[in-house]
Amino acid sequence: MSDPDVHLRKFQKELSTGTVSLALLAVLARAPEPMYGYLIAKELERVGDGVLSGKQSALYPVLRNLEGAGLLESHVEPSVAGPPRRYYRINDDGRAALRQWIAAWTATRDSVESVLEGIN
Amino acid sequence: MNNDIHARPLPTTIPEYLEQLRAALAGADPAMIQDALYDAEEYLRSELAEQAGKSEAEVIAGVAGSYGAPEEVAEIYRETEVTVNRALRAPGPAARSAPVAPALAATAAAAAAAPARPRSWLARFFGVVLDPHTYGALFYMLLSLATGIFFFSWVVTGLSLSMSLLILIIGIPVLLLFLGSVRVLSLVEGRIIETMLGVRMPRRPAYTDRSQGWTVRIGTMFTDSRTWLTMLYFLLMLPLGVAYFSIATTLLSLSLALVFAPLAELLFDQPVGIWIDGVNVAGALWLWPLTVLVGVLLLFATLHLARGIGKVHGAMAKHLLVRL
Repeated sequence: MSDPDVHLRKFQKELSTGTVSLALLAVLARAPEPMYGYLIAKELERVGDGVLSGKQSALYPVLRNLEGAGLLESHVEPSVAGPPRRYYRINDDGRAALRQWIAAWTATRDSVESVLEGIN
Repeated sequence: MNNDIHARPLPTTIPEYLEQLRAALAGADPAMIQDALYDAEEYLRSELAEQAGKSEAEVIAGVAGSYGAPEEVAEIYRETEVTVNRALRAPGPAARSAPVAPALAATAAAAAAAPARPRSWLARFFGVVLDPHTYGALFYMLLSLATGIFFFSWVVTGLSLSMSLLILIIGIPVLLLFLGSVRVLSLVEGRIIETMLGVRMPRRPAYTDRSQGWTVRIGTMFTDSRTWLTMLYFLLMLPLGVAYFSIATTLLSLSLALVFAPLAELLFDQPVGIWIDGVNVAGALWLWPLTVLVGVLLLFATLHLARGIGKVHGAMAKHLLVRL
């Protein structure tokens, strides 16, 4: 277990659990129209770095969970490219949750940064 | 986690990729496998449509980096499912009945290492009231009369209508529409079962290989055992629904009547008792506490029965509706 890579991966995994949900909600809150899984994944890939650049297959279960938690709404539309796509849209509960999450995130980020200050 | 990963050459076509993903997920909950295959296919097909110039093999090689190789994807889904199951598990004392498939139960049990404390049989017997699935199952038993009648009539009408119309050419589209509707209804029943009985069922339609022509796909609707098993399930739902409904209403009304019988006598001055051939055998005052006790015990036994039926029915539905 002395391999630093192991520690890094474990840290990244724990870091990503909450932040991925936050990022997904944020992407959908900014989107003018409903988006489906692939588009959301590509949007995150475009801006993403760090833990958000992880494997995109991890996003789908999180989307389903957010929908199950009542923060997203979805509908299915047929597509020419493959199976019918599920389009996700953020609802009012989701926006309320996002506002709280952003506040929590900002507070955490600021305090973590102030703790990290001074370490080269 | 505890599944070994075999390093295999990357697949070159989308069906191959999905086949590898299915193989990597072997042993996991079939409902989860169905969802995972659906997600993967959506991503792969979208990527392929996006990069029109490239070949399928090139696209998949790129996808292995962004979406993940089949083994990696399988790993991610297994882990997420364990986390979600743990999060969804009700904290009530009767929550040890978490709906995990045997393969996942092993990992989930290892993850949630805290063993359930052994409880007295008394706590177990009365703890059933705290389990939300008890009421879900009870409601499902009452609802199943309606859904059972609907499913049964749908299948019988659809089958006989399309069979008899097959003589004319119009029977073919009717039959195909009917088969499609059975798939949709199977998904709907799955959602009902997952909500009320807590058994993990698919949230996405079953995977169909789109690289084949539509004639082949129609053919697989007939050869797919799931189509016929789903119809069998829908036919079974009528007798089962009638039985569930009768059991639930009879036992509930009997036990509640026993519990509240003394109250009726005291408050409303109604003669209370158990009549056999016109003779009241339970009119004595000392029998009243006994009737209440029997009623309470019967009520709790009914709740246990409902939960048991819910579990058995969930397992049966999973066998007939989700097969890969």
